[in-house]
Amino acid sequence: MSTLLEVSGLSRSFGSVQAVNGIEFSVGEGRCVALLGPNGAGKTTTIRMLAGLLKPTSGAIKYAGQSERADVREGIGYLPQSPAFYPWMTGLEFAVYAGKLCGLGGREAGRSAGEWLERVGLKDAAKRKIGGYSGGMKQRLGLAQALIHRPKLLIMDEPVSALDPVGRREVLELIRELKRETTVLFSTHVLHDAEELCEDIIIINKGDIALQGSLEGIRNSYRKPIIELTMEPDEGSSRWARELVASVAAGQGGSNPLLADAMLQGNELRLSVREMEEARSHLLRSIVDNEVKLVRLQAGYSTLEDLFMKVVRI
Amino acid sequence: MSKGGKKGGTSRYGALLGKEMLELARSMKLVWVPLVFVALGIMQPVSIYYMPLILEHGGNLPEGTVIEMPMPLPSEVMSGTLSQFGVIGILVLVLVYMGVVSGERSSGTASLILVKPVSIMAYLGSKLTAMLLLALLSLLCGYLAAWYYTDLLIGKFAFGEFLGSFLLYGLWLAFAMAATLLFSTILRSSAGAAACVLVLLALLSIAANLAPHFAGWLPGALNSYAAQAANSTIEYTDVFVWVIVCTVLLIAGAYALSCTLLRNSATID
Ligand SMILES: Nc1ncnc2c1ncn2[C@@H]1O[C@H](COP(=O)(O)OP(=O)(O)O)[C@@H](O)[C@H]1O
Ligand SMILES: [Mg+2]
Repeated sequence: MSTLLEVSGLSRSFGSVQAVNGIEFSVGEGRCVALLGPNGAGKTTTIRMLAGLLKPTSGAIKYAGQSERADVREGIGYLPQSPAFYPWMTGLEFAVYAGKLCGLGGREAGRSAGEWLERVGLKDAAKRKIGGYSGGMKQRLGLAQALIHRPKLLIMDEPVSALDPVGRREVLELIRELKRETTVLFSTHVLHDAEELCEDIIIINKGDIALQGSLEGIRNSYRKPIIELTMEPDEGSSRWARELVASVAAGQGGSNPLLADAMLQGNELRLSVREMEEARSHLLRSIVDNEVKLVRLQAGYSTLEDLFMKVVRI
Repeated sequence: MSKGGKKGGTSRYGALLGKEMLELARSMKLVWVPLVFVALGIMQPVSIYYMPLILEHGGNLPEGTVIEMPMPLPSEVMSGTLSQFGVIGILVLVLVYMGVVSGERSSGTASLILVKPVSIMAYLGSKLTAMLLLALLSLLCGYLAAWYYTDLLIGKFAFGEFLGSFLLYGLWLAFAMAATLLFSTILRSSAGAAACVLVLLALLSIAANLAPHFAGWLPGALNSYAAQAANSTIEYTDVFVWVIVCTVLLIAGAYALSCTLLRNSATID
């Protein structure tokens, strides 16, 4: 697999705010990569630097196969978080305009615009003013104008975040098709979207990369046995749960060698355990001894969601 | 695609300019801005012609007063029209274009355009071209209207004088447009850009009048040269040539500086 994009030591600060803090990653040709992180993680800042709209404070962005003199923008298609168009243009006019700006001749731009509008489902609305488009339609027009010159890399910033469930589904399906034809990098704060589409994920938090790698690899190497408990909301059970959490936090395994991590949310306790058999019997014994009013106990493995929550909680 | 780089460059400029002109047409600016100039151009000869009548019906004069006002020369009416354009006309043009760059950057459309492989020079060049076209078209319409009514009501005005004063005044408007482009690139606020341009233009005009020795070679002097051209009292001195050269250089400089500033700005969009 050849590398299409290589980012090293990329940083950007706004005054005293360090929005992106020396991140390093690469994007392989043909891959679909998600830049995943909570709000304010630095996703938009990173993507705008990749698109050349924002100058990095330091660091380098290298696109492979681009000679010194060629314009790297020739190979990039970009869809911003909330694309803004000229409301007085029609969808078709904008797509043709985008094609011409990418160097297509008039006839070629017209043909390509027609094809892409059809693919994104805007054929019937092509001759309507963009001012009357819905959010989902604008997003799809945004995709059409980004792809008009068949870029090597499609970069999207939260392509589905602002959409209702129907629009979201439509755009996700489109991306699923597109990723077969081109390399895709998109940001999202929803793990589910990344899991659904991508081979690789880069989790960023507060401007730093918390975790990156292939989805499969991460899923396997971070898979941990966990036990989930639900209790009744009485005083005795709650106290027991709080003490358990405190002992894990205080001892970091010292006083409680079986548990790696504990998290209490309302009446639900999530424990990540080091050794399932021992931990389970120890826990059951403790529940009986302390007369905890158990509602549910489930043993299983951690999901990516757990991992995501854990790395961005720091 | 990289092969046809040169050809691509001009065709992209063409596409950008096409969009600017389409926007002018769709927003009706291509119609109403020239109409403002036409109204200004008609007002000057018409109001001068009917001035005695207007005063008579004002009612404040004692019974039987006969108003004797010498009818001004056609050239005076025409140069008066230019000074009308210099206040309201320029104000309208500057207000229309105060957000020409900052508006697209803050609305976010600039980020869609500037990630495409277009040069900043083509992007700003298309905007400046559209600005100049609108300004000169408006001036031409307004000045032709003034000429027609002056001819009708007051007297003959020669073509040579018309052309000379039109070109000199057009250069002053072109300078105003280049300054608007520059300030709209520097400042994020369009109102701020408009204020800066208007203050700059006012200072230049005043300086040219008050201190011709110091500021006589700056664009502000074009105002009085245009009026002189209308009155056929113009003297083609060295200073006159300097004003032309200096203004052309300043227009080119404002464009080049806008390009440099936008290219080097930390956030392009
Ligand atoms: N133009 C800006 N000026 C000041 N701070 C900014 C600017 N853009 C982003 N930031 C800050 O940088 C951080 C990362 O922002 P952003 O990249 O938009 O996050 P995300 O897209 O992941 O939600 C935030 O703390 C945000 O407040
Ligand atoms: Mg964002």
